[in-house]
Amino acid sequence: MSDEVLPGVTRSAALVRQPAFWVVILLLAIGAVRMSQIAALFLTSYPFATVTAIGMFALLAVPFWLFVSELDFLEREPAGLRGLAFAWGGLVATSVSIPGSTALDNLIAKFGSPGLAAEWGAALAGPTVEEIAKTLGVVAIVLIARTQVNSVLDGIVYGALVGLGFQIVEDVVFAVGAVQLAGEGDRVQPVIATFLVRGFLAGVWSHTLFGALAGAGIGYLVVRRDRGRGHRLAVAALALLAAWASHSLWNSPLFREGFGDGALALLAVLLFKGMPPLLLVLHLVRRAHDREAAYYVAILAAVRDRDVITEGELRVLGSGSRRGAARRHAAASAGRQARAAVRRLQRAQAALAVELSRATADAALATGVDARAAEVRSHRATLAALGHPEAVEGARSWRHTASTVGTALLAFAVVWVALSALGDG
Amino acid sequence: MGRVTRRQLTDLPGTLGLPAALALASILAALAFGLPALDRAVPAGRPVDSGLPYPVAAGVTVVPPPGADLDVTGTRPGDDRGTVLFRLGRVRYAIEVEPFDGDLTAAAVRLRQRLTGISGHQVSGTQLAVSTAGGLAGVQGGYTAGDRDGRYAVFVAHGLIIEVMVTGADADLEHVLPAIDASTRTLRYETAR
Repeated sequence: MSDEVLPGVTRSAALVRQPAFWVVILLLAIGAVRMSQIAALFLTSYPFATVTAIGMFALLAVPFWLFVSELDFLEREPAGLRGLAFAWGGLVATSVSIPGSTALDNLIAKFGSPGLAAEWGAALAGPTVEEIAKTLGVVAIVLIARTQVNSVLDGIVYGALVGLGFQIVEDVVFAVGAVQLAGEGDRVQPVIATFLVRGFLAGVWSHTLFGALAGAGIGYLVVRRDRGRGHRLAVAALALLAAWASHSLWNSPLFREGFGDGALALLAVLLFKGMPPLLLVLHLVRRAHDREAAYYVAILAAVRDRDVITEGELRVLGSGSRRGAARRHAAASAGRQARAAVRRLQRAQAALAVELSRATADAALATGVDARAAEVRSHRATLAALGHPEAVEGARSWRHTASTVGTALLAFAVVWVALSALGDG
Repeated sequence: MGRVTRRQLTDLPGTLGLPAALALASILAALAFGLPALDRAVPAGRPVDSGLPYPVAAGVTVVPPPGADLDVTGTRPGDDRGTVLFRLGRVRYAIEVEPFDGDLTAAAVRLRQRLTGISGHQVSGTQLAVSTAGGLAGVQGGYTAGDRDGRYAVFVAHGLIIEVMVTGADADLEHVLPAIDASTRTLRYETAR
């Protein structure tokens, strides 16, 4: 357990004193210039389609961003570093990958054949360049804020955000490319088609997932000091290989026509190619989250103060579904204000656990424990005033079950309509 | 949970600092500039039999002009779509085939809009009817791209659009256009593929 989480804190003043920080900022600036040049070209030729594409894919990024940011509820990554990870994916990894992937694709045609490049170029060239460029984004965060990568889950979150940034910018480039290929002027239909295919149907299994896989490896490399350096490097390399293989399988011509035509066949291909990495990442997230939760819950359990956290809340805090159930229970028994108060209490309890862990690791880092504890007590008082003194889960309600089933059916119906449209196309 | 030791704080890769950051930048430079440099260093041209039909994609063939080289970086064959790129000196001769459900007029409009959608490209002159020895009907015209001139032709047949693009300096084009025109007229759709 001791090496599952390595607590620490990075202060912004210390950050800017590091030469590595300025190297990363320079790389981001170069990437921003390069991608701005491409955006300016797009805006000159297809202003309406470009703005539409940027708007649609920016909106698509919001739920992904919120979901990934919430993965590490107990020890949220600083917004600045999350933004840096996203920017690395969208600016640095993309501007490196555009020339690099094209060159590698050409080399496959030169050393192999044009036929080989046509069939397998996308499966070999793209993943090779892009996965390396994205993974370096997580390495960059480790270099400038090592103390903020203190669990495997942190690596997953930063990797996923690098992948998300890459995915959104790449989707915009593809959407405007589709407008150009369509040859119908500055129209949005190709943008919508690209959004449907790349954003909606392929979005779940795309770069966010590949980035998360590679990021898990970097997180393991940094955190698991109980293992030898060779072992950790091997695990990190294996994670990068898994990201590459997932990306390669997705881009490969395998089963392109193997399941026939129609929505069912398309769904089968999507599931066959997308499910393995999705299941692997979900397993890693669950495992990393549970280990991190067990560590922080154990720290809070040692406090033994019912005003800070009760036995029931200790059980709830370590599980995402139980935290949600506790908020729903508060809403049902004491209204929406209680729901918000429970959320704030849970956040404050998590923040206190992080502060306590830092204090355990290094007394010099124990600067915020008292303030965090006061925050927890304040939210507890608010909750008590609302007549809901303890943030625990209630009995499972039929309304929640019906809502879950209804949402799943609606999502399936929407996916089915989209697949049918594409299958007939 | 033990204390964070000095060994831990100086372990890979957190505190290697500037050297590690420069190494990271070097890897990015190798990807962004090294791979393209290697690509440029390896020749892309391949000799091609000028007298024999070359399969472009989706059953479409063309007889390359005499003296043309196949540029493998612009050639991607396929069952339902593909491209081929020939080079005659500094002149590019590209043919692209893909599924299309419109007529010849729509195909010509699409090609012209794609051309003018590229910064610095302008369609010039009038558009003329053209046909191939194999019976494909199409239209052809000209365009300018900065200091280079271009010719385009487009055909529609069997649910496919066949786009031909020729670009080069005016003086170079003058010498090779007759041979390229003759090659374009050999475009053929083979039904049994």
